[in-house]
Amino acid sequence: MLNSGSRIWPIATNTVREAVRHRLLYTLLFFAVTMIGFSVLIASLSYVEGERIIQDVGLASIRLFSVGIAIFVGIGLIHGEVERRTIYTILAKPVTRSEFLLGKFLGLLLTVWLQLCLMAIAFVAVSVLVGAGLDLGYVAAMLLVGVELMVIVAVATLFSSFTTPMLAAFFTLGIYALGHLSRDLYSLGQASDVPAVKQAATLLYRALPDLESFNLSTQAVHGVAISGAEVGWASLYGVAYSIALLILASFIFHRRDLE
Amino acid sequence: MSHPITTDDSREIVRVDAIVKDFRPGLGLRAKRVLHEVSFAVREGEIYGFVGPNGAGKTTTLKILMGLIRPTSGNATILDCDVTETGFREHIGFLPENPYFYSFLTAEEILRFYARLSGVGGRDRDRRVQALIELVGLGDARRERLSTYSKGMLQRVGIAQALIHDPKVVFLDEPMSGLDPIGRKDIRDIILRLKSEGKTVFMNTHILNDVEMICDRVAIIVKGRIRHEGPIREFMNEEAMRSDIVLAHLAPEVAEQLGAKFSARVQTVGEQVEVQVMDGQVRDLLKSALEAGAEVLSLSPNRISLERIFLEAVEQGEQADGSSAAERGAPAC
Ligand SMILES: Nc1ncnc2c1ncn2[C@@H]1O[C@H](COP(=O)(O)OP(=O)(O)OP(=O)(O)O)[C@@H](O)[C@H]1O
Ligand SMILES: [Mg+2]
Repeated sequence: MLNSGSRIWPIATNTVREAVRHRLLYTLLFFAVTMIGFSVLIASLSYVEGERIIQDVGLASIRLFSVGIAIFVGIGLIHGEVERRTIYTILAKPVTRSEFLLGKFLGLLLTVWLQLCLMAIAFVAVSVLVGAGLDLGYVAAMLLVGVELMVIVAVATLFSSFTTPMLAAFFTLGIYALGHLSRDLYSLGQASDVPAVKQAATLLYRALPDLESFNLSTQAVHGVAISGAEVGWASLYGVAYSIALLILASFIFHRRDLE
Repeated sequence: MSHPITTDDSREIVRVDAIVKDFRPGLGLRAKRVLHEVSFAVREGEIYGFVGPNGAGKTTTLKILMGLIRPTSGNATILDCDVTETGFREHIGFLPENPYFYSFLTAEEILRFYARLSGVGGRDRDRRVQALIELVGLGDARRERLSTYSKGMLQRVGIAQALIHDPKVVFLDEPMSGLDPIGRKDIRDIILRLKSEGKTVFMNTHILNDVEMICDRVAIIVKGRIRHEGPIREFMNEEAMRSDIVLAHLAPEVAEQLGAKFSARVQTVGEQVEVQVMDGQVRDLLKSALEAGAEVLSLSPNRISLERIFLEAVEQGEQADGSSAAERGAPAC
């Protein structure tokens, strides 16, 4: 177990390297940065609170594109290795399937975090250019986008470990959408008079990720104070949820025939 | 399975015990049995040839040994460890069928990657990487991405990664496939070198010529059942121990005399004389022939019997399959 790191790390860095040497990701990144620039244009056309719109649109496009990239790469993460049989020679080395899975997960996570950093830099640059205010609220917002990405990458890794990219995309997008609605679903359920519905809503809320807890963009843009505790708890929740997903993924992956 | 009597009682490195594998093609469809209680053992220091026609179950067996798929029943061990474990893998190397690697890496990068996974560290790693690139003859392409590699070059990368950590046991699935004649010879030499270093080699193949040249033991698998197993010399009956010699400038009556003297089969084809003789007599016959002024055009060992046994085994397999289908009362079509 002590040596696990020496096997997980090369797998992770290779995953990053594969992404960095892949042209498509640059295209996506280019689009994201263009979107952020585009928001400047929209803002300059509106009269009221121009900077606020820039930052609103900017943050929204960062979230959208980083989640998009995470899902896009994540759905084929494990499946591709089995399909192309690159996994055969790796698992013939003293590497457990869990180590492999964890390495792939970490690699993709590092990749999307790297992209998030690049987009954040573009965001700061645009904000400075138009003279919009930046404060710690934005740092917190970006941090939690990073945590949300971790959960999304874990969801994609889980599905990729046993289904095709098509199905994995479908399921991951589904979880993403439901994850943002899970609070609403919960309150809707609690409003019901039927106890069974209440229970089911609670259960669903527990099982689904509460992705809204990672969404600080409104607060950040409108300068509402964000407490460190809020960010801390949300991060902890994200980490715990991802670990649970990875344990489940590795449980499934260990039992699979790789053919 | 009756075990043939052999002189060596060295340690069993690989043990396969009554392995059964069923594949489920899909929900609701009937499972297809691909391996029927396959059992065999590979002893320390030998080159073991696992031969059989296409679709016999060779790759499936190897995937089970590598822990990539699980047997439906039965069990397999390598170096006394269950194949589902991980730790012992630092002592084994694996070349898959038509290997494929991260195509965005170069040969050097991928070998360094595999070395790290196998726990080869620091200074040792770079030394091993360079040594193996030289061994498999990829020196010129070491810094090119694998996406530009040909099939044969990928096969060489596959061999290199299988040996990067100097394993005790090596598993090769069709090691000669995709290689040119020089490549084949290189691989044969590598395998023989491994043997001389005391390593154990297990290899899947359907190229009988390679088996005859290098293997110590052979198992023939047909339709998921082992049909024959034993040391290679058991497959070589008297006929197999003969050699074919083609001579020129030899008078027919001298040829006749030689044939009688060495109880060889002699056939005159135009200007040439084809002689088939027992291996033990080759030297003396050649000597006599040369003294009589003959010129030796070719000399090749005649190893037809493995092929014959192989073909018979396949035929038996087909028949057994047919009769069992009839017993089950399956429709004839
Ligand atoms: N995933 C699978 N699902 C269903 N059947 C399979 C699967 N994998 C292999 N088979 C079947 O198992 C049989 C044995 O296949 P295997 O690949 O082991 O053959 P092989 O001896 O390696 O053949 P070759 O010489 O062509 O490589 C074949 O009939 C094949 O169709
Ligand atoms: Mg095969």
